[in-house]
Amino acid sequence: MYWYQVLAALLFTIGVVGVLVRRSALIIFMSVELMLNAVNLSFVAFSRQHGSMDGHIFVFFVMAVAAAEVAVGLAILVAIFRLRSTANVDDVRLLKG
Amino acid sequence: MTLVEPFLFAMFGGTAIGCALGVVFHRNPVHCALLLVGVLLSVSGLFVLLHAPFIAALQVIVYAGAIMVLFLFVVMLLNVKGESSILTPGAAKGFGILFALLGFVELLWTVLSPAAESSGIPEAVLPADFGSPAAIGRILYTVWLFPFEITSILLLVAVVGAVVLAKRKFA
Amino acid sequence: MDTATLIEAAIKVHIVLGFILLGVPLIVWMERKVIGHMQDRIGPERVGPFGLLQTIADGIKLFMKEDIIPSQADKVVFVLAPALTVITALVATTVIPWGDTVQLFGRTIGLHITDVNIALLFVLGATSMGVYGIVLGGWASNSKYPLLGGLRSSAQMISYELAQGIALVGVILMTGTLSLAEIGRAQKHMWFIVPQFVGFVVYLLAGIAETNRAPFDLPEAETELVAGFHTEFSSMKFAFYFLGEYANMMVVSGVAITVFLGAWQGPFLPGPVWFLIKLTAFLFFYVWLRATFPRLRYDQLMAFGWKVLLPVSLLNLVVTATVLAFRGS
Repeated sequence: MYWYQVLAALLFTIGVVGVLVRRSALIIFMSVELMLNAVNLSFVAFSRQHGSMDGHIFVFFVMAVAAAEVAVGLAILVAIFRLRSTANVDDVRLLKG
Repeated sequence: MTLVEPFLFAMFGGTAIGCALGVVFHRNPVHCALLLVGVLLSVSGLFVLLHAPFIAALQVIVYAGAIMVLFLFVVMLLNVKGESSILTPGAAKGFGILFALLGFVELLWTVLSPAAESSGIPEAVLPADFGSPAAIGRILYTVWLFPFEITSILLLVAVVGAVVLAKRKFA
Repeated sequence: MDTATLIEAAIKVHIVLGFILLGVPLIVWMERKVIGHMQDRIGPERVGPFGLLQTIADGIKLFMKEDIIPSQADKVVFVLAPALTVITALVATTVIPWGDTVQLFGRTIGLHITDVNIALLFVLGATSMGVYGIVLGGWASNSKYPLLGGLRSSAQMISYELAQGIALVGVILMTGTLSLAEIGRAQKHMWFIVPQFVGFVVYLLAGIAETNRAPFDLPEAETELVAGFHTEFSSMKFAFYFLGEYANMMVVSGVAITVFLGAWQGPFLPGPVWFLIKLTAFLFFYVWLRATFPRLRYDQLMAFGWKVLLPVSLLNLVVTATVLAFRGS
């Protein structure tokens, strides 16, 4: 059963690498979705182990929140892209000290 | 046939990891989005192996069928091209990978340690309708009713926010 | 999971696959003949008796045509996109029951490839994935008109998915199960079209919009936008898109029959024969609509989906839930 947890940890780490290393805002967003999926997998695996359905309910809410977050995040991305025609996070640095 | 489950786990897990590496290291954003769909479908298969059919179906319908289509729309409409050098330059790249690996080692330590719950407790005996829509409905609308209603308000806020943010301002 | 179950499943897969691959040429022939007669002309009549082999001839022609891939197109996605359309349509047919159980060789065999307890969600998931075939086909062509056509078509499909799903929830409330075989069995005494007529109409309209058929076929019609998302596809890839579209029609008809029109139930004939009769009637209705109605403009189409079908399906859901709660069932 712990193999599912190891897989979830591996997927989470790959997502972290994606957020830290890539420069395109879209790919960073996709890596965040990857992390959310790893967490979902971990929840369902624990739920299977303990025989409790609360893990499934958590995953349900995580999916709903992820959908909301993707909608708003992509809207922000579209707004920034329209203004600056770049999706590179290194170029959006007006607030930097 | 107790050999089927480890084989299926290896197949879905291997596909998930391969597609995840592709998402992070691929150049073309559309290919990354398609590989992320591959990850989502593999994880959905893993959910079925874990006796969670309803969550698996939701994963396909909501995540792979709606959220990723939204991603693809934005990528195609904005016509975001793959950049020439995709990774952050220089030392930041090395530090990023180093910290991620440290995090992974820490997670493995937690999961595999003898004191961890995941190795001590044997797998529970599951009721017959574990993971079915009826079982989820039974607790979603009684025990978890309040978060359910809050989530509906959250979705409304997200819809309004997305419409407002992406609107063109008529100058 | 013993070998007998595997053999049983393999035989059923062959039956369904053969039915679809033989049925699609027949549907195409029926469409051309029926539209021809409705337009006061004869339709194909030279190739084979009554023109029955016309579709086979067209299929051979498409097979022999040169397979062109545009040089700037994304080759992997270009080849993948038509395959996705067909795969999702065929996967959705695995849970549609075409009859009740039979007793063969001492085993009780249900006449469906598989029966999961989330069958309706499975079909909805497969049709959700079908959007990718279109949006990727439009994008992979690396050309303006197919891209626009593909985006419009997929926006239409995801808009009507909502109304389609909510229209089915009324029946789910009445039977308490998502399994299509159970829903079929629950209609022994009364078909669900009687209490859920509004749901049936909404599902029908949403299903026609989902499959990009007339009068909702603006994104791919021959007179609009060149040819929409399948402009650049030739030979077998084009044939695959068509196969996928007609297979999707059969899936939508199959689900509508199972959920609203009593599945395989009927007085004298065996179950699968009744299913075939109802399926043919449904497909005839599809063709009839195409011959009769003018196309909806794209903004009319989207307004209809969001402002009419979705609120009506929600209203149907609320009324159904209220009635069931007051009856205490």
